[in-house]
Amino acid sequence: MVHPEAVRGPVVPAAGRGRGAPALEGGDVLERLRADGASRPAVDAALAGGLRDWLEDGLAPGVEARGDAAEPVRVSKEALNQVLVCEAHLVAARRAPRVPTVELVRGSCVDALFRQWISVGAVGDPWDDALSALEVDGDRDGVASFARALTGPRRQALEAELAEQVAQIQAHWSVPSPAWLARTQERLEVPLCGGRVVLAGVVDLVLGGPPEERASVCLVELKSGGRRLEHRGDLHFYALLETLRSGSPPFRIATYYSATGELDDEAVGDDALVSALKRTLEGATRLCRLAAGAEPARTPNPLCAWCAGLPACGPGQERAGTDVPRHGASDAPDVSPAGARR
Amino acid sequence: MRSRAATVTDALLAPPAGEVSGAELMALRDELGRDLAALASDLPAHESLRVDAFKVLAARRHPERCTEVDDPFAPSPGRCRRAVGAAAVARCVRGFSPGPAAAVAEVLAAGLDDVTSGPATAGSAPWWAPWYGGLAPGARAVVGAEAVTWATALLTALEWRRLPRQAVVGGRADWWQCPGSSALVLQGRADVRLHAARRPAYLVLGSGRCRDDWRVELGFPALVAALGRAAPSVPCRVVGVWPQSGQVRVLPVDITTLRATGAAVASAVGTWVDGRLEAQPVLAGR
Repeated sequence: MVHPEAVRGPVVPAAGRGRGAPALEGGDVLERLRADGASRPAVDAALAGGLRDWLEDGLAPGVEARGDAAEPVRVSKEALNQVLVCEAHLVAARRAPRVPTVELVRGSCVDALFRQWISVGAVGDPWDDALSALEVDGDRDGVASFARALTGPRRQALEAELAEQVAQIQAHWSVPSPAWLARTQERLEVPLCGGRVVLAGVVDLVLGGPPEERASVCLVELKSGGRRLEHRGDLHFYALLETLRSGSPPFRIATYYSATGELDDEAVGDDALVSALKRTLEGATRLCRLAAGAEPARTPNPLCAWCAGLPACGPGQERAGTDVPRHGASDAPDVSPAGARR
Repeated sequence: MRSRAATVTDALLAPPAGEVSGAELMALRDELGRDLAALASDLPAHESLRVDAFKVLAARRHPERCTEVDDPFAPSPGRCRRAVGAAAVARCVRGFSPGPAAAVAEVLAAGLDDVTSGPATAGSAPWWAPWYGGLAPGARAVVGAEAVTWATALLTALEWRRLPRQAVVGGRADWWQCPGSSALVLQGRADVRLHAARRPAYLVLGSGRCRDDWRVELGFPALVAALGRAAPSVPCRVVGVWPQSGQVRVLPVDITTLRATGAAVASAVGTWVDGRLEAQPVLAGR
């Protein structure tokens, strides 16, 4: 087996960032992500330990208040986004049954097709392949059965969209070299404070083996919908998890938008990790407080109109101008605190 | 920075620290066999109990869920990933494949060949192959992708060039039939087995994060191996690697470890037997 560091692609300038990032020319995503090994940062052996200490010191008061026997508080990117926007929104979202939507079907199907393309290098009929992938895994969210029940123009539109997004993926992604150790849907699970808080995530694509002298891992998230400001926060959260897990930050993180072919990528510096840590600490502290039984704070925000808790939330109704929540996420606004700061 | 794989390999290959005597092992076997047989005698008529590490841990973590009768085995991508992934890692280590993705594809293709080439080879097909052969392309991709992720985790967990040639990847599980009860069998498995200074040493790839009961998780395969073997063949240690969390633990195996694990297994068997008994009226009513 050849070490990933031994295979170096050509030096390609980093992509533009933000909303103006250009759509990619065909077939260059992997080259751009792997970049040149010589430019990768050296591993700082003390970094991960320092970040862990910082997090555990910050979480200690909230964790101690809950006691040893309590179930661990799981901190995912979704939980972070929700609790930082509005604690009551998080609680309402957790209580509401998860109802499949067309957006959820599209996202799950494109995730499955991207995985198939990276793993096998071939996709046949996108609709059939995606649904059989979801079904063999047990169709836990009921997405496949919801999709199979779709008929008429909704189904035709979704099938056409899947075909378009697969075409984008095929045009931009070559099948990774074996030396890059590509793996899909990799789970990260970092216990803190003796396992009483668990930071968790599933990364769509991980490239590169474990770090030695230099950072060697690249993380990629796939998005089938439009750009949203919280996507950057999600990526930074995963970079933090990878740092805590492996002892080294990823050398590059990226979000690929399969609807447009855009790639939003960046190198991971200390500033990104520290900002991710502060955000995670703030969110995890709130999650610990809620898990201890505290009343969730209500923070009116642009998402109130989509919140499942709207019928019982006065401030939310005032903000939204109605007590009937809207459905579907495609037209929901960006509200991430990270985004609001930019 | 010394890599984690180097540290794990050091731990796996370190000289054994102590040993278990034949007399100690015999006493443990007798005592545990007696205790387990007594517990198994309470199982509902015609029921058997196969206890693996998953069941032992489930009894400790979620005793309320320990009511299910052993189901007929149903393959899934999650259940196939170790079998396919271990075969793929073996191919990479021997230099037959350039990496996990190619190796997994070759293992899956060979399994399909065994199934489709006719009755002469169908008998030698791996257990997952007939099921895999019946899947649609999208579902097959999930099986392959899961196995690639598992194989990559194992392949990058160790410095393979330092391991002895006889190191076994995957391999058969250890089984121990409780001497006093035909209804109870223990099944232990390790993901890598090798000899460190003539004593077996195991590596286990854990799922998720390392929990408080990691000593039981790592001790179980050592216990099952010890119960079925002579004292010199008792594993000297079990190294646990949890790739998703990056955690590593080393469990030296001595008689104290084996006794503690045996007590945990007896407790788990008791929990499962109680669960089966409590489920009886429900089952009878179905």
